[in-house]
Amino acid sequence: MSDGIGRKVDVKPDKTVIKALALGGLLGGGGECAVDVKNGKVVRIRPFHYDWKYDCESFRPWKITRNGKDYKPLFKSVPSPFSLAYKKRTFSPNRIKYPLKRVDWDPNGERNPQNRGKSKYRRISWEEASDILATEVKRVHKEYGPLAILVQGDGHGECKTINTPHGHSGRLFDMMGGFTQQVRNPDSWEGWYWGSKHVWGQGIQGMYNPADNIVKDMTENCDMVLFWGGDPETTPWGFTGQCATRLCYFWTEVGIKQVYICPDLNYGAAVHADKWIPILPNTDAALQLAIIYIWVTEGTYNKEYVATHAVGMDKVEDYVLGKDDGIPKTPAWASKKCGVPEWTIKALAREWAKKIVSIAHYFGGSYVRGPFSHEPGRLECILLGMQGLGGPGVHQSQITYTGMPRAEGLRSTRFFNPELSERITKPVATTIRAWGKQLIPKTWIQQAIDEPPLTFYGSGAIETPTEDQFIKYTYPLPKEEGGTEIHMIWTDTPCRITCWNHGNWTIDAFRNPKIETVVAQHPWLENDCLIADVILPSNTTLEVEDIVTNVRQGVNFHSMAIMEQAVQPVGESKSDYEVVLEIAKKLDYGNQFSENKTTRDLQKQVFDDMEIDNLISWEDFLDKKYFVFPTATDWENDSPGFRKFYDDPEKHPLPTPTGKLEFYSARLAEHFPDDKERPPIPKWIEKSETHDERLSSERAKMFPMLLMSNHGRWRTHAQGDDITWTREAPTCKVTGVDGYKYEPVWINPKDAEKRGIRDGDIVKVFNERGVVLCGARVWERIMPGVAYVDHGARHDPLVPGWVDRGGAINTIAPYGVSSRNAVGQATSGYLVDVQKVSEKDYQEWRAMDPKAFDNAYRREYDPAAGLRFNAWVEGGM
Amino acid sequence: MKVFVIDVGRCNGCYSCQIACKDEHVGNDWTPYAKPQPDTGQFWLRQTEHIRGTVPKVKMHYIPMPCMHCDEAPCMPACPIEGVIYRRDDGLIIIDPEKCTGCKACVDACPYDAIFMNEDLNIAQKCTGCAHLLDSGEWTIPRCADACPTEAIQFGEEKDFKAQITKAEVLKPELRCKPRVYYLNIPKKFIAGTVYDPVEKEVIIGATCNLSGDSKKLTATTDGFGDFWFEGLEEGVYSLSIQAKGFATRKFDNLNTEKDINLGDIPLEK
Repeated sequence: MSDGIGRKVDVKPDKTVIKALALGGLLGGGGECAVDVKNGKVVRIRPFHYDWKYDCESFRPWKITRNGKDYKPLFKSVPSPFSLAYKKRTFSPNRIKYPLKRVDWDPNGERNPQNRGKSKYRRISWEEASDILATEVKRVHKEYGPLAILVQGDGHGECKTINTPHGHSGRLFDMMGGFTQQVRNPDSWEGWYWGSKHVWGQGIQGMYNPADNIVKDMTENCDMVLFWGGDPETTPWGFTGQCATRLCYFWTEVGIKQVYICPDLNYGAAVHADKWIPILPNTDAALQLAIIYIWVTEGTYNKEYVATHAVGMDKVEDYVLGKDDGIPKTPAWASKKCGVPEWTIKALAREWAKKIVSIAHYFGGSYVRGPFSHEPGRLECILLGMQGLGGPGVHQSQITYTGMPRAEGLRSTRFFNPELSERITKPVATTIRAWGKQLIPKTWIQQAIDEPPLTFYGSGAIETPTEDQFIKYTYPLPKEEGGTEIHMIWTDTPCRITCWNHGNWTIDAFRNPKIETVVAQHPWLENDCLIADVILPSNTTLEVEDIVTNVRQGVNFHSMAIMEQAVQPVGESKSDYEVVLEIAKKLDYGNQFSENKTTRDLQKQVFDDMEIDNLISWEDFLDKKYFVFPTATDWENDSPGFRKFYDDPEKHPLPTPTGKLEFYSARLAEHFPDDKERPPIPKWIEKSETHDERLSSERAKMFPMLLMSNHGRWRTHAQGDDITWTREAPTCKVTGVDGYKYEPVWINPKDAEKRGIRDGDIVKVFNERGVVLCGARVWERIMPGVAYVDHGARHDPLVPGWVDRGGAINTIAPYGVSSRNAVGQATSGYLVDVQKVSEKDYQEWRAMDPKAFDNAYRREYDPAAGLRFNAWVEGGM
Repeated sequence: MKVFVIDVGRCNGCYSCQIACKDEHVGNDWTPYAKPQPDTGQFWLRQTEHIRGTVPKVKMHYIPMPCMHCDEAPCMPACPIEGVIYRRDDGLIIIDPEKCTGCKACVDACPYDAIFMNEDLNIAQKCTGCAHLLDSGEWTIPRCADACPTEAIQFGEEKDFKAQITKAEVLKPELRCKPRVYYLNIPKKFIAGTVYDPVEKEVIIGATCNLSGDSKKLTATTDGFGDFWFEGLEEGVYSLSIQAKGFATRKFDNLNTEKDINLGDIPLEK
């Protein structure tokens, strides 16, 4: 067929390369896409079709059946929209094109630390940048010792393997005598890590594990699935894509009821919920206790299972019935705290007791990221235990992240690929393990700078056993062990200000004169880059030659692929690995750092590490550029979840001291006898030494709303806030009267009316920790009393450390961590108010710092993409 | 003849369709099919959001809207120049980007707001059904359908979709444009509520709810949460009575489903 005039257009690309464009980083892949390139330009990015060079039948597609209907994988990937829009990231107007130095930072003179976050930058050459940094490293090593350098292998990032966005600096400094490591906390799943692990002992992330094959078991057996906090239509996007959506639709098709318990009609609830139970942020523990109360008083839990599979039910009963504190945790008691009507609490408890019920999450959303998040985390394990956890259809599901059919030849499906050799994993280990000589939890970076010394229990590293939480750490280490305070910071893909706790204090702490040098490497000029002294331009997945192992679950088929270079690097940018190599060369560590290996050598090493030569040869792999793992022939026989423990707890004990579900933790009692925030059995904590964020607080008179925050729909944490195409969605940004695109705050029409706020108004969300400007989204997708802002918007300081215009809500999150002995972050479920911004407000803010305020309004800005590179660089492009 | 069949009941609102369309057309010149789309502001496939009800009975759906490629396309007669807007043999309608003079007549004529004015190029632009890809022989569906994770957007030969089309509807049928985009499962209105006993503070399960109006009588029974749902209602005025053993009957009149109705938590007195 022709266009009617008889002419066609050549749409055929010069080449098609495979790229994993999800944004979880950490060697697990995801978001597989085909990238069509023509004349050196990215023409299109589309879902990857697994059958491009293979016959579908060779994948042995699995099938799960219920009520005569089949759930099967698609033969294409289902990436998120921001993966499909990824050329907008690579060619963002916010890309860093060459090395930069802060204009008023002089390593041989005045360093002006007080101006971090205020001053602009100037272009320097790679030669100058590497000279300065090599000299600085040597000076700091000589003056203070190697541990004076802090390596922040930061939050999240692209799915590169050889050129992983994290921790290459850690690998270099390790060769030079060590470094201080920022230990990244389990920011998306604090409640499971600091809480659930103490009930079921599981050592890695803290969620239900083993969780093998539970998708089949749940699909075949569940009557009802509770989506508690987490959103299957949001958080999976960043990690692997959209497989969860098809599973939810299938469950609806076969009659599995889906109940959403969350303050917001989240994106999953919007299209999948049979029932939405709105609950006030971070009050889930009250609801959970009331459910236990009903089950105990009505005798509707699995007593036999609890007697043989759990310890401490008597103590839980005493607490719930009020024998401890005189307060029975009745539905009436809970209703006042959590905002769910008493009758609905009872109905939920009874429906649950009567039916076969699993709980589904994708990490847990705001529910496990607030103050004392270990309490709801542990209570959930008790609730599941009381209904026979591990039995048919009774599981905790990290939906599609775990429990999918097993693939042949794949030894691990973790988010991090532990099968790869140390040469490849070591940089990434800086993000997931505590392997630096001296450690600081990421949640306490500002305390470490401003208020040392620190002691803490548990490094907080994502991949540590439960026992680590009983180890006492100190910062700094004793002098004789090389301990020193930090004086130089090296960060990569940074987003602490907008994604971690109390971001305003981060900005403040980085201005401490004891921090002499801050280095950031990142593709985009944003967030923590703006408090750095030297900025090194790294580049994006599309620009590098690499390899990816798509081993994480939540893909239709696991695969691995050579990720060929799609386009030439932007400006003078280099891959994250090459950035550090430049500095290593200047320090005479070039050969040791590179091991003289080429990219092809390292691709081959990754292939060899996967041990799949019985399935495909290196030559064949290199020729086809990808390999799809077939489904294991015997996957259906895999025992689902805790089934072995369910069947025989003596023979298949849990990794807890008693081998049982520890409703009561003797270990917590022994190690932390005075801990009122995380006592041996989980409790409702109204207020504590760490947090005072409840509606009952005196503070609530000034800040009467509860702020909830989840992972964003339109970005992965901080990644992707400048994509012009996603920013057109009404839930991504709100265009204010001044033309600026603000981060949305959802509020209910009832709250809006009281405050005279209309949809689209510029409003301030604030408490005594600062002010964040947002655009009001007034609608019924949020319950009254709650303000909802996702974390991760690009920070745009009006008054640095006090007023943010970009919508970086975590700048005003609590100062405290999860609780005294749990250094997790508390970034949801805290007190704020929301009001319209007035002229008086602007005047007051300007008076606080006229120069910074005026500069903010002069910065180059484009509503389509947001802040631009030129906004912070003298002379611009 | 090509058709789109879009199942609103399987649309999760991810916007991959809208964004894949931009990926294909922004910055890419597919003349003679289409010239580049501006980076922002045009939606050759426009995703739309619809929120219904009030807390906690809130439902949502999305309706993705490409050009409807109407059989009786109002844009075609509106165009003053013969042949600028033409229908291909496969039914897709194209605005010739080289002949369009930017008079905007088609933009104003389209009742679906599917045509956009590109001021820089001075031409009108819209969805081509990715005809440039279909003609290449490498593609059988447009980008929006390929990017859809739930297969809610389907595209193909009309004869292959006969069964779905019988159950489907089109948007604004009263205009008789005969769109070639068919929709399945667009929700109608609902009336819902939760029934409870204010003394015992318990939901009432199994209460009989009788709804009349729209010359129909419907019955629902409250579920384990005390909830009743009447979905798929036409716009109209309804009356509802709720009966449960041991409780006084509760009646609601003049329930106007111009908007979806959440009656909230409804206490029944003894």
